[in-house]
Amino acid sequence: MSDHAALGVFLILTLVFPVAAMAAAWLFRVKSAPTREKLLPYECGVDPKGSGWMRFRVNYFLYALVFLVFDIETIFLYPWAVKFQSLGLFAFVEMIVFIAILALGLWYAWKEGALQWY
Amino acid sequence: MMYYQLLGPEITVAVLGLLVLAGSLLLPSHGKNALGYLTTIGLAAVLLAVILNFSREAIFFAGVYQIDMYANFFRLLFLSAALLIMLMSSRYTGLFGERKSEWFSFMLFATLGMMIMVAAGDLIMVYVGLELMTISFYILTAYLLNDRWSAEAGLKYLLIGAMSSAVLLFGMSLIYACSGSTVFTEIYQALLAGSERPALLAGIVMMMAGLGFKISVVPFHMWTPDIYQGAPTPVTAYLAVASKAAGFAVLVRILLIAFPPTSLDWKLILAVLAALTIIIGNLTALPQTNVKRMLAYSSIAQAGYILVGLVAANTYGLKGVLFYAMTYVFANVAAFAVTAVVEVAEGNAELESFNGLGRRAPMPAAVMTICLLSLAGIPPMAGFAGKLYLFSGAIQGGYLWLAFIGLLMSMISVYYYLHVAKAMYIGISSREDRVLLPVPVRIALWICLLGTILMGVYPGPLSELTELAVQLFSAV
Amino acid sequence: MIGLNHYLLLGTVLFGIGAYGVFAKRNAIAVLMSIELMLNAVNVNFVAINRFLQPAAGMGQLFAIFVIVVAAAEVAVGLALIISIYRHRKSVDLNDFNLLKW
Repeated sequence: MSDHAALGVFLILTLVFPVAAMAAAWLFRVKSAPTREKLLPYECGVDPKGSGWMRFRVNYFLYALVFLVFDIETIFLYPWAVKFQSLGLFAFVEMIVFIAILALGLWYAWKEGALQWY
Repeated sequence: MMYYQLLGPEITVAVLGLLVLAGSLLLPSHGKNALGYLTTIGLAAVLLAVILNFSREAIFFAGVYQIDMYANFFRLLFLSAALLIMLMSSRYTGLFGERKSEWFSFMLFATLGMMIMVAAGDLIMVYVGLELMTISFYILTAYLLNDRWSAEAGLKYLLIGAMSSAVLLFGMSLIYACSGSTVFTEIYQALLAGSERPALLAGIVMMMAGLGFKISVVPFHMWTPDIYQGAPTPVTAYLAVASKAAGFAVLVRILLIAFPPTSLDWKLILAVLAALTIIIGNLTALPQTNVKRMLAYSSIAQAGYILVGLVAANTYGLKGVLFYAMTYVFANVAAFAVTAVVEVAEGNAELESFNGLGRRAPMPAAVMTICLLSLAGIPPMAGFAGKLYLFSGAIQGGYLWLAFIGLLMSMISVYYYLHVAKAMYIGISSREDRVLLPVPVRIALWICLLGTILMGVYPGPLSELTELAVQLFSAV
Repeated sequence: MIGLNHYLLLGTVLFGIGAYGVFAKRNAIAVLMSIELMLNAVNVNFVAINRFLQPAAGMGQLFAIFVIVVAAAEVAVGLALIISIYRHRKSVDLNDFNLLKW
């Protein structure tokens, strides 16, 4: 029963906090109508020039992709590191093979220019 | 140490794939053809190793990985399919531009995934092998980077395929919940004692749905025509032949080994699905004008025929599944090879492009006709022997109505297969030049032709091989 | 007590929300996110079953790790394919991908 109570308190807090924050902001806001100047996007104080849309830079995506793959490799490295002593030589060699395969992938990404930031 | 000898094929294919990837970085662009030869020779060597070690069996890692003659039979199938695809794609890979060498490594990784899948004795290995194969195929389907059809096919395949993998996984989790283990033999032991539970039913049904997507049976077949039409033709051929065989191998192994007969009457469900698949596959192939799309719908129907063998689940039926899957490789690869030749020569794979092929390229036209007749089940080609096994098994198992539907639809299928033959021999085309074939494509077509006719006229050796392979299930 | 049934219910509800997203969303990236949600729902299932039914073995957690890794690889490939199709069609709306049909 206490598990359910904890869950209920958690749920109520989750609902109350954002509502309370937004209500406090609404209370302390200056209440005036938005004019055209107030709705302009911020560009360091000067008037905005040009369109708001920017060209999609594939570099961001490629970096994120390489990061994702190596982060997932780390997921496999953690259990191995924890049980390293008791697993012996076989697991060590096996993990070196695994890391070598991923290093090959990293070399491929490097040489194909995925890590270049223009 | 026996590990490495029996795991040699998988290790070799993996190392070969990585070597090709490294080679694509190191070699200059005019040396990249060497990677194609390396891949082909490597696959031939691995095929030889599997043939020589066919009857050696072992169970590794506490039941998780099972190399037996059933797995060896399917490894033979995948490696020979991969070899034939490598041969027939020799001119087509020119369309890939500078990404040609990575194509070879993706094909090798897909083969590796299939080999892992069929030797799996555990749900985790099935999933890992399935996803390795499937993700390689997502990339291979979208490989024509400048072709919008290929990109669209790749995206559609990924979205639908990922969702069906998720459904398969949910089914696996429910089965794990009901049995407490993921190894097939342990699941069987655990389920023998229990009763029929809704969670188990839901789990088995969802797993059949997830695998049914791979073999394109009827409620899950909508992806097949679009993806087969959009993908590059060698990839379509490999998908149609090997991915389907891998799905069947896993489905047969799981249904017959992991579930005792009391848990769910899956035979009835599969019988109805097989009937629907055969009917809908054949009827929707009738009005098609694009040959790749027609072959896609026909492959849906062929999956229905193979499913009939699984429904029967006796020796004849299972032998029929394996025999038909092997003959299907040769017939289908030849059909797609000729389609690839026509596509490279004319730019598209519509029926009009096949006009006059009988005059312009007599050997490919003859091979295409014979292989399409094999798919239709006309004796003395191999397809007839395969269908004989399948439908005999169904009759022996008591599914007379299913065999009748299969025979009726086989007769109807001759119509749309002969459309292509009619275009090739009677159709008039404006061009009169000969269509030249590169030597590897010729070799592939000859191998397919010889295979189809030999297995039809003299099915003995292959039949004995399948007999050995299905001994695994006679103990259950 | 919070038992196995609660976790399995959570997994099923998440799976259902993901399935709804796959069928109803028009943006291809939203569909990929829904697929991720389905795969994570399956992970919840596996870990919960492992904890309550078979605490000795670790098969469920092992399966969950493999599913995480494979899902990450699949999403990476999926995003690359979306970029590839965006270059051709200049849109990620699934209703616009209608070149392949009957």
